[in-house]
Amino acid sequence: MSSHAGTIDHHHDHTTTTGIPNKKLLMWAFLASDCMFFGALISTHLIYRLHPPPGTPSPREVFDIPLTSFSTFILLMSSLMMALAVNAIQKGNLKSMRFSLLTTVFFGAIFLGCQVFEFTNFVNEKHLTITNSILGTTFFTLTGTHGTHVAIGVLWLIMMYVRSFKPADPAAHPFWFFRNLLHVAMVIGLVLSAMFTVLAVVHTVQTGGTAAAFASQHFLIVAALVATLVGTVILASPRGAVQFSEANAIDVESMGLYWHFVDIVWIVIFTAVYLLEYL
Amino acid sequence: MDVTAKSHFTTHGESAPAKSYVFWRPTAKTGLISWLTTVDHKRIGFLYGLFALFFFLVGGSEALMIRLQLMVPNNNLLTAVQYNTMFTMHGTTMIFLAVMPLGAAFFNIIMPLQIGARDVAFPRLNAFSLWTFAAGAIIVNIGWFLPDGPPITSWVGYAPLTSKLYNPNHSTDFWILGLQLLGVASIAAALNFIVTIINLRAPGMTMMRLPVFTWMTLVTSFLIILSFPAITIALVEVMMDRQFGTNFFEVSNGGMPILWQHLFWIFGHPEVYILILPAMGIISEILPTFSRKPLFGYPIVVFSGACIGFLGFTVWSHHMFTTGMGTVATAAFSLATMAIAVPTGVKIFNWIGTLWGGHLKMRTPMMFALGFIWMFMIGGFSGVMHAAAPADAQQQDSYFVIAHFHYVLIGGSIFALLAGIHYWFPLVIGRQVSDFWGKLSFWVIFVGFNVTFFPMHFLGLNGMPRRTFTYDGNMGWNTANYIATIGALILGVGIGLYFAVMIYTFFKGEKANRDHWDGRTLEWSLPNPPPEYNYRVIPTIHARDAYWYEKHHREEIAQENAVHAQEDEAHGGIHMPYQSIYPLVASCGALLGGFGACYHTLVVALAGGLVLLSGIYLWAMEGAEGYHIHLDAEGRIVEDPHAKH
Amino acid sequence: MSDSHASASGHVAEENKFQIYVRIAMLLAVITGIEIAVIGLPFTKWLLVGTLVILSAVKFLYVIFYFMHLRWDKAFCTILFFIGLVIAGATMWALLKLFGVPESIPLTVSLNALAGATGLA
Repeated sequence: MSSHAGTIDHHHDHTTTTGIPNKKLLMWAFLASDCMFFGALISTHLIYRLHPPPGTPSPREVFDIPLTSFSTFILLMSSLMMALAVNAIQKGNLKSMRFSLLTTVFFGAIFLGCQVFEFTNFVNEKHLTITNSILGTTFFTLTGTHGTHVAIGVLWLIMMYVRSFKPADPAAHPFWFFRNLLHVAMVIGLVLSAMFTVLAVVHTVQTGGTAAAFASQHFLIVAALVATLVGTVILASPRGAVQFSEANAIDVESMGLYWHFVDIVWIVIFTAVYLLEYL
Repeated sequence: MDVTAKSHFTTHGESAPAKSYVFWRPTAKTGLISWLTTVDHKRIGFLYGLFALFFFLVGGSEALMIRLQLMVPNNNLLTAVQYNTMFTMHGTTMIFLAVMPLGAAFFNIIMPLQIGARDVAFPRLNAFSLWTFAAGAIIVNIGWFLPDGPPITSWVGYAPLTSKLYNPNHSTDFWILGLQLLGVASIAAALNFIVTIINLRAPGMTMMRLPVFTWMTLVTSFLIILSFPAITIALVEVMMDRQFGTNFFEVSNGGMPILWQHLFWIFGHPEVYILILPAMGIISEILPTFSRKPLFGYPIVVFSGACIGFLGFTVWSHHMFTTGMGTVATAAFSLATMAIAVPTGVKIFNWIGTLWGGHLKMRTPMMFALGFIWMFMIGGFSGVMHAAAPADAQQQDSYFVIAHFHYVLIGGSIFALLAGIHYWFPLVIGRQVSDFWGKLSFWVIFVGFNVTFFPMHFLGLNGMPRRTFTYDGNMGWNTANYIATIGALILGVGIGLYFAVMIYTFFKGEKANRDHWDGRTLEWSLPNPPPEYNYRVIPTIHARDAYWYEKHHREEIAQENAVHAQEDEAHGGIHMPYQSIYPLVASCGALLGGFGACYHTLVVALAGGLVLLSGIYLWAMEGAEGYHIHLDAEGRIVEDPHAKH
Repeated sequence: MSDSHASASGHVAEENKFQIYVRIAMLLAVITGIEIAVIGLPFTKWLLVGTLVILSAVKFLYVIFYFMHLRWDKAFCTILFFIGLVIAGATMWALLKLFGVPESIPLTVSLNALAGATGLA
């Protein structure tokens, strides 16, 4: 579908008193609430950084700024892809939207993978756990809650992506819902196996293994990756008209608001939790 | 705003969806299924009301147990542990399971009618709030039926009392998870009300023409969405301390229990305004109606309500004056607390101004409303006394505090809610309550309430501490306690009488005429009880007290309505949302997950999470579908021949 | 009505939105890089803190006004969000002040410091 300017005015809903679409208003009100939510959690962390008790590990010795900067950059790029996805569907460009959504998922998954890597590194190598100090408690709870928000967002993105395949004529595709569920499971499987594959590659490189060793040790993961990739491609093949168009842009936009919010919370966390420790 | 047009932003199907097993839309209009799958704001509000009134009796029974134990010194009716359970559950039940849902009942039933809407913005989300509220209520109270017992750490649950060290069994977990679910329900409902009030107003209903009750609904909803996150985080932190060994409030590893107090009261203070603002809104409707005059100083009343809401976030540490925060902090919060008395006082003057020169009709709702003004003022006076930090140093944790907040909560919130039930009963239920029995119940409640709580001011000033299960006979507290208990029994009789009157009237009361009180606001223009679709034609609003304008400009309104009725038909009829089972499914998942979290059982928690996720996913996939109805000349529904069942 | 709305507020921006978004993403990445560089600079703490806060605020505002579209939406959305943001920020500020006063320093820290200063423990 060509990217012509849409026939719907996405800024104005004339069935509401203010002209703001209900779903958009709901999401903004929810985000105002979420500001207080993260505000309380960030406050807890910062309060406990005011007068750290003796024996608290020093963040400078624990944090890995290059890694965290990389994951910050990744999240920013995911935000860009999200904005492009919304932009695409507002113009009725389904293919472009699907591509942008998948890329958002891709970057979101990388961010999550970096978080997992960072957490395991902090626990195993730097000996900072959620229970052994107040720093560990507040740090892991705060970044873990943020990570949970990202994970929920990734799940939502995958579901939105798959939703865009719902057939316009359900009667002609009687099992469309089960195919839909399979599709969601397939993409989730793809994301997870990709993450595990990357971790496996990193592990092999770190332990100085060979490609052959990698293949034999991590055969299942690679097989899963290939299978889910093939499955995703098959399930994404066109099967006629879909019930997803410009009219659904409001849903993608609302989801986008959530995703961007998770990004701006990370902007605050990166500064307040990581960077400020180095001053 | 074009109310009759179809929104681009909703994916309403043109016809009813093909009947499928997964996306079956319930169509029953009567019976259990119709109630479990309802998305009608009037039914949801009614259920909130039923739950609330039930728990009000539960909380009242808990209070009577407390008073019976304290009737005489050195009593052994309750053990210390049982007594702790009683005051914990009395507070938790009354605040979260009685007053808040009763407020929610009014928000749900009345607010959409007052703005000329057919329902709230997100009907299924509304149902989800209701059922999640029920789930939270179950978890908070399940301890009564289990060996671990109900929660015991007081309604404020201070750390480190709530730690595994001092309360190892699951009763505290019930409190934590129950409150979390109640918080989720409240936030979801509040978001819904905000969008409804901002976006679903009838044409001509500008913000400054909204009924004050609707304004207070809006301010309360903002308070809910902005204050509950603080307690959500506090509860998450204490849950993590208990279940995962974190150090948020664990002193030996750097934790500070005082943080709990801050986070709790950052929620807790706005919470008390959440409890009182709806009450103030109800009073602001009743006084004009029964004074036969418009509300005095409407813009000031609205602005004061908003000020109270905003300032409510700046005073939380007045609950912590005795915790050693330092002079500057104590002074700042003391000042802010005194400041918040100003808009409150302004409202009282405006209510008096409404009464002044009016043609007063002393019916039952008016009695409760007048009682409200006086009793709430007394509670306000003791509140201002608390605001002076040096005085509070003596009053903190004494019976003076109990006297203060019961004056504002019973004399304030409860009186107004009881008034509201009487006031809107003829509209919602269609029957009229006997004025004699209503007034009698008012007087018994009024006397009982004052006899119970007035002596507590003196008990507090004479040093009796709260939350202690007994007292020695030589403290000088015996007489006042005895009197207070007698008062509590009288209050119990009064409440019992009130309930008996309501139940009798519900089943056997005389049918009420339409617009029973000659009301001023839109809801009174409807038949009683209102039909499922609320308004035959969405009204056009020309002034504040919209219905009063309508009654005095009947020709103009009739012409307008005729035009709009034609437009409605041209657009395919009145759009009604389908009922849905998925909000209930999602809430069941939340309940199951909550239990799993209480017992720290991953499998159950995950199972609950899966059910919750499935419920939400299916809810999203079934879509905001609806059907159209057409009305005949008498307003009866003629079914859309294209709709499938 | 919807056409004129689109052309009035959105049409010019509509065509360029893709480019606007990409440019902003690049700007955000550059600012992030600057932030990382800043922490190594030999200036006083308050200046560096101030700089980091401002840079973060700039990123924050770009995301909400452009990616989240507040610039082109009705003002009420902005007001709504800022109510939450301001109350959260003010509460955080108050909490940090409350916990920053000498009376609030935990004894494990103040006594330890005292012991260190007097040569005990």
